[in-house]
Amino acid sequence: MLILHDYELSSEAYAARLMLGFLGLAHESRPVDVYPGAANEAPAFRRLSPLGRVPVLEDGGLALWDWQAILIHLAATYDESRRWLPQDPARAGAIAQWMAVGRELEDSSGLARRHLAMFVDADLPLAQERAHRLMRQMDEHLWFQEQAGQDWLVDGPHPTLADLAPFPAVMLSEEGGVDRRDYPAIRRWSERFRRTPGFVTMSGVFPAAPLG
Amino acid sequence: MQQDLRALWFPVASSGDLPLRHVYQGQLLGLEFAVWRADDGAVNVWENRCLHRGVRLSIGLNLGSELKCQYHGWRYANGDASCLYIPAHPANAPARTIRNRVYRSVERYGLIWSAIEPLAEPPVIPELETAEPLALRPMPVAAPASRVVEALRSYAARLGAEAVEPAAEVPPAGAFALRASWRRDGEVEAAAFFVQPTAARACVIRGLLLGDVAEAERVATLKAHNAALTALREEAEAADAREPDAAAAVEEAKIPLSPRVTTVAGGERAASGEAIRVRVARKWRVAADVVALRLEPISGALPPPAPGAHVDLHLPNGLVRQYSLTNGPAERDAYVVAVKREPQSRGGSAAVHDAVREGDLLAVSPPHDNFRLARGGGRHVLLAGGIGVTPLLAMAKALAATGRSFELHLFARSEEHAPFADDLGGLGASVQMHTGLDPTATGDCISAILADRADDAYVYVCGPAPMIEAAVARAEQAGWPDSAVHFEHFGNAKAVDDSTAFEVALARSAITVAIPAGRTITDVLREHGVSVPTSCEQGACGTCITTVLEGKPDHQDVFLSKAERASDACMTPCISRSLTPRLVLDL
Repeated sequence: MLILHDYELSSEAYAARLMLGFLGLAHESRPVDVYPGAANEAPAFRRLSPLGRVPVLEDGGLALWDWQAILIHLAATYDESRRWLPQDPARAGAIAQWMAVGRELEDSSGLARRHLAMFVDADLPLAQERAHRLMRQMDEHLWFQEQAGQDWLVDGPHPTLADLAPFPAVMLSEEGGVDRRDYPAIRRWSERFRRTPGFVTMSGVFPAAPLG
Repeated sequence: MQQDLRALWFPVASSGDLPLRHVYQGQLLGLEFAVWRADDGAVNVWENRCLHRGVRLSIGLNLGSELKCQYHGWRYANGDASCLYIPAHPANAPARTIRNRVYRSVERYGLIWSAIEPLAEPPVIPELETAEPLALRPMPVAAPASRVVEALRSYAARLGAEAVEPAAEVPPAGAFALRASWRRDGEVEAAAFFVQPTAARACVIRGLLLGDVAEAERVATLKAHNAALTALREEAEAADAREPDAAAAVEEAKIPLSPRVTTVAGGERAASGEAIRVRVARKWRVAADVVALRLEPISGALPPPAPGAHVDLHLPNGLVRQYSLTNGPAERDAYVVAVKREPQSRGGSAAVHDAVREGDLLAVSPPHDNFRLARGGGRHVLLAGGIGVTPLLAMAKALAATGRSFELHLFARSEEHAPFADDLGGLGASVQMHTGLDPTATGDCISAILADRADDAYVYVCGPAPMIEAAVARAEQAGWPDSAVHFEHFGNAKAVDDSTAFEVALARSAITVAIPAGRTITDVLREHGVSVPTSCEQGACGTCITTVLEGKPDHQDVFLSKAERASDACMTPCISRSLTPRLVLDL
C-alpha cells in the first residue's frame, strides 16, 4: 500500500495527490500538521524526511521526500501508458525544463503564498516579481503552443509532468498576491488540465466547467 | 486633452480568448470583467463579481447558457445576467431585481470591444471591414497607456523595417489606436494597434496585422511581432520605473452605482421602466389576420429577453399593449412581436394593423420575463392556441438551441391561421399542428398529449382563455401537479370587483396606506412614492407579483396558479385586493 504523508494546504503535496488521482492509485493518507503544529520538524518525522519536507511517499521499502521525485517515481512505476513521463529523447529535456519551472514557481509564487498564509520568512515583492517573470514566459509559450495546435507545455496529445509540476503553484498564485489576469493562455491551459480524467481539487482549486 | 475614457470603446479581449465554456478575466480602467461566450455564440461582458459575496465570476463555471459562481452556486443568465437560481432557496425563483451589471459589447475584427458608459456606437474601421486581420499576441504592459502609445509610434524601426508613413491615429478609435506601416522585402505591410488601459499604470497592446499572411509564415510572423512588442514592453516598463510619469497615469473608473441596489421598492421599475426607442424595420403578414413587427433599436443594444418574455409596446395612438417576443436565444439585434387583429379591438391591434408602418418610431419597455421555462426538465410540452404561439415559439427556439427535449402543439382554425409557419418548420418534427378542432376535440387532444407524465416534465400553455382553462383542467385530470403547469393569458377577461376598502402595510418601507374602493393598490402606492413594477395592470402578466406577509388577498388575476392562490403567499397588486381588513406586503 502506498502511504502519502500529506498536508492538505501544501501545494507540493497537492502535486502528489494529483498524480495519484490521475493514475487511479489507492493510497493511505497520513496527515502531517505542518502549520501551525510544525509536526514536519519533529524528530520522528525527520527520520522519514531529513529536511522536514512534506509530502513524503512510502512505497514498500522506499521513502521519497522530494515532491518531484515522488511524481517521477509514480509515473515511472505505475503509468503503463507512459503518457505522464514519455521516454522519447525529443521531449525528455523539455519536460525536465518545465518541471524546473514548476520548482521555481514553488520557490517564488508558492513562497509568497506561504509567507502570507503561514508566516514563512520571505522577501514578498521579490518572490512575487520572480513569479511574474516565470508566468510571463509560460503564458507566451502556451500562447504559441495554442497557435501550433498544441494544448500542453510539451508537444503531444496528453499532459505530462511538464504540466503537472507547475500546475499547483500557478493555481494557488493568487493566495500569494500573484494575479493571473495578464496570463490568459495560462488560464486556458489550467482549464484544459482540470478537465483531465482523474483530476482532483484542493482548497482554492476549483473544477472546470464540463464541455457538454 | 482630458477625455472621459469611460465613454470610449476599447478592445477587452481577443475572440480567441473565449474558447468553449471558458470565462476570461478582463480589465478596463481599473474595473474587472468576466467575459464569456455562451454556447449560442453570444459574448457577455459583466462586472467580475457575484452579487452575493463579491467573489470573482471569472473563476466561475461557464455552463453554456449560464454562469455559475464557484462560491455558493448562484447562476446568472446569458444575456441579461439575471440571477436564475440560488441553491440555498431551491424552491423560490430569485427576485427579478437580482441582476449583475452588464457592459455593452460587440465582437468585431477578431476582438471583443466594450465600454463602461459609451456615448457612441462601437468604432467601425473601414480598413478592417474588408481585410481579415491576423490578431497578434496581446501584450500586457505595466506602464501607462499613453506612454505605450508613444512607444508604438516607432514600431517600424523596432521591427527593423523602414516606415512607409508616420504612425497615425486610427479614426474613429481615437488616441489609443495607431496604424503603423513599413516596408519589408519590397512589400508594404501594416498593423493597427489598440492600447487598452487596464488600470492607471497598466495596459494591453492588441495588434491586428493587416493584409494576408501565408499559412506557412503565420507562426514565424506572430513570433517576430511578439519579439518586437516584448522589447517595447521591457523598454516602456523600465522607463516608467526609472521616471514615473504622473501625468500619463489613466484615471480609473469607479463602479457606477446602480439605482437598482440603492432603492428597494420600485428600483426595478425606475431602472428598467425607461422605454427604448425602436424603429419598425419590417412589418409582414405571418398568418390570416396576424402581422409581425421587427423592432430594431435606434441606438445601442436591446436588453436580451428570456424565452417567454413580453414587452409593453407604446403605440402611436397612445395605447400601451403587451406582446410576447418570439426571439430565439441568438436573435439579439431586434425584437419580433406578432399581433392578431381582434374584431373587438379596444384600439391596440387595430393601431398595429392599420396605423403602424415600416420606418415608424415606437417605444418598448425592457422585457418582462414572467412566463419562464423551468430549469432542467426532461420533457417540455408547449401548447399554443393560435396567436398564443408567440412566447412558446421563443421557448421552443431556446429549447432547441440547448438540445433539450420538447414538443410544440399548435392549435389553429386552419393552416392559414397558424402564425410563423416558416419558423415552426425550422424546428422540425418537434412541432405538431392540430387544425380545425372544436373545443371538445381540442380538450381530448390535449388529454392524449398529456396522458404520459414524468416527474421532470413541464407543460406551458398560451392561447385564448377557454383553451388555457381546458388545458389546466385536463392536466389536473391526468395527474400533473400544479407546479408543472405554466400558462400565460392574453389578458384578464374576468369582471373585477373593486368595491372593497382595506389597509395595506408595507413591511420594508414602513408605511401604511388606506386603499379606498375603486382604486388599485399599485395606484395608491405610487402616490406614496412606492412604485411597484407593472405591465398589463389587469392581472394577466405577473410583472407586479408581490410577496404577502400577512392577511388574505382577494385574488382577481389570471396569472397565479391554483396552489399559489391558495397559499396566500403572493398576489398581483395591480388588480387584486384584500379579504382581510389589513394586508402586509413585502415592499
